[in-house]
Amino acid sequence: MTLAFALAAGVLAGSGAYLALKNDLLRVVAGIVLIANAANLTLMASGRTRGESPILPVEGEISDPLVQAMTLTALVIGFAVIALLLSLVYRVYTGYDTLDLDELSKEEARHAREIDQQARDDDDAAEAEGR
Amino acid sequence: MSLALPLGLVWVGAAVTALLDGRRRSVAWLAVGVLGAGFVSLCVLLALVLVDGPRTIVAGDWPAGVGIALRADALGAVFAVLSMGVLLAGLAYEVVDEVESRKTPALVLFMGAGLTGVFLTADIFNFYVFFELTMVAAYAVSTYGGERHQIGAGFIFAIVNLLGTFLFLIGLAAIYTVTGTLDMDGVGVALARTDPTAVALIGVSVLVAFSIKLGLFPFHFWLPPVYVGATPGVAAMLSGAVANVGSYGLLRFGGDLLPDLFAAGAGVLAVLGSASIVYGAIQAISRRSASEVLAYSAIGQVGYVLIALAVGGPVGYAAAILYAIVNALNKTLLFLTVRVRGWLVGTCFAIGALSVAGVPPSAGFFGKVELFRAGIEARSAVLVALIFLGGALSFVYMFQIYQRDFWRDQHEPSAGRALRVPGVLLALVVLVLGLWPEPLLAVSREAAAALTGGRG
Repeated sequence: MTLAFALAAGVLAGSGAYLALKNDLLRVVAGIVLIANAANLTLMASGRTRGESPILPVEGEISDPLVQAMTLTALVIGFAVIALLLSLVYRVYTGYDTLDLDELSKEEARHAREIDQQARDDDDAAEAEGR
Repeated sequence: MSLALPLGLVWVGAAVTALLDGRRRSVAWLAVGVLGAGFVSLCVLLALVLVDGPRTIVAGDWPAGVGIALRADALGAVFAVLSMGVLLAGLAYEVVDEVESRKTPALVLFMGAGLTGVFLTADIFNFYVFFELTMVAAYAVSTYGGERHQIGAGFIFAIVNLLGTFLFLIGLAAIYTVTGTLDMDGVGVALARTDPTAVALIGVSVLVAFSIKLGLFPFHFWLPPVYVGATPGVAAMLSGAVANVGSYGLLRFGGDLLPDLFAAGAGVLAVLGSASIVYGAIQAISRRSASEVLAYSAIGQVGYVLIALAVGGPVGYAAAILYAIVNALNKTLLFLTVRVRGWLVGTCFAIGALSVAGVPPSAGFFGKVELFRAGIEARSAVLVALIFLGGALSFVYMFQIYQRDFWRDQHEPSAGRALRVPGVLLALVVLVLGLWPEPLLAVSREAAAALTGGRG
């Protein structure tokens, strides 16, 4: 059983990493969803006992209810985070008209160059004034 | 006073302001007022903890071991006071400057509630929940201003930090499965008896997760675009309050729950910290714009915290705590003064710059003194030389900004006078702590004594 959990979480995390390295922002978000679920599955698998569902009256061995509560919480948080990520993707799209990560890094580099150039121009202007 | 008061106060305030329009001045000032009340109640809590020792409450009056506990010890309380103060200064700055987005004050309050929870919880899963609450609010706040490069930077900030968060969650699952408890005390005791191989895996996932939050050297690449793009108040909140989660997490999980592992891995911590210091300082010197210099300086400064952690023991942990406090104050002061002009603000910026470089009479001097003490304690000439080198480099880059921005460019239209107030107050705090450091030193030693590794 542990092996099945480990394999499933590994496949999820691996596929998630593959998607997260893609250029398309929506695929990156999909990759994060898969990695989040790999973490949730690991949390589920970390239960210390396995057996019947932990609802009264219990007979015999029951499943660890604590990890189920934790996974449920983590799922809800993950859901909220994904909603936030999708809204960020939407705002990136309305700002850039593209979902290509390369375009985003070009913009970042352009912005860095721009403020650097601005600072250098200010330096030059101040120096010229000093003379 | 109940431990839940500061947490509940800020949380309810956040929920109420979330329903109101934060662009209205009354609502924005209400948010500042709630943060102020939270700050005052946390100060009272810190004083009580220092006098009476740690206090604990268990939610819902469940028997011990079943209920989820909140606990305030000196370490948590001092970080909570610090972070709330930084948020208060940052939000006050933004409110004076005109809030442009209706949700920002509420988001800052949620960040405050999350941070208070992180520092006051005694349950590792609750730690994760509060930590996630803080980070989600931080992702949203980092795009404040709505420029497109900010949104791009915010997206990468969110993606990279989420990967760290999931890694932490997996580490947490591993902790639960080997210890069978979520209570921090119980976890610490159980981990000390666990197979070192399992503990090493847990330790690595926790270290990587918090290093990403802190922006330590190989995990830093998301940081500069976010800090450069953010407005001054937001940059101050991210570097002075949210980054504390990383330092606190390393201290709590490393110093308290996994002291043996961190002692065994001291070499790794020292190398990571040194790489951060050197990389941050060299990058900062090569940059021309003030906000970029401050962003890279943030990467360099957290390296010192890691070095002090590597030294460990009472002296090392006290130095790490003191340096984390001083660094948060410095970064907040510098970000809040860097875009305002005038002789008064120039002086305040210079105080912050001296504090980063570790020159008296500023709080940063004592941060550096404690680091030197830790370096000598570890009998490592390399560490002492590195701390000295890092200080010298930071002196160079801080005064490069001062020279370019405050000496020359004085005819830029000066912003309103009220915008200077948060910066001036913080500069006074840094100066007073530099002239009368005993309370700060005592608090950091007390906080280090709260850690298991600090006792040994």
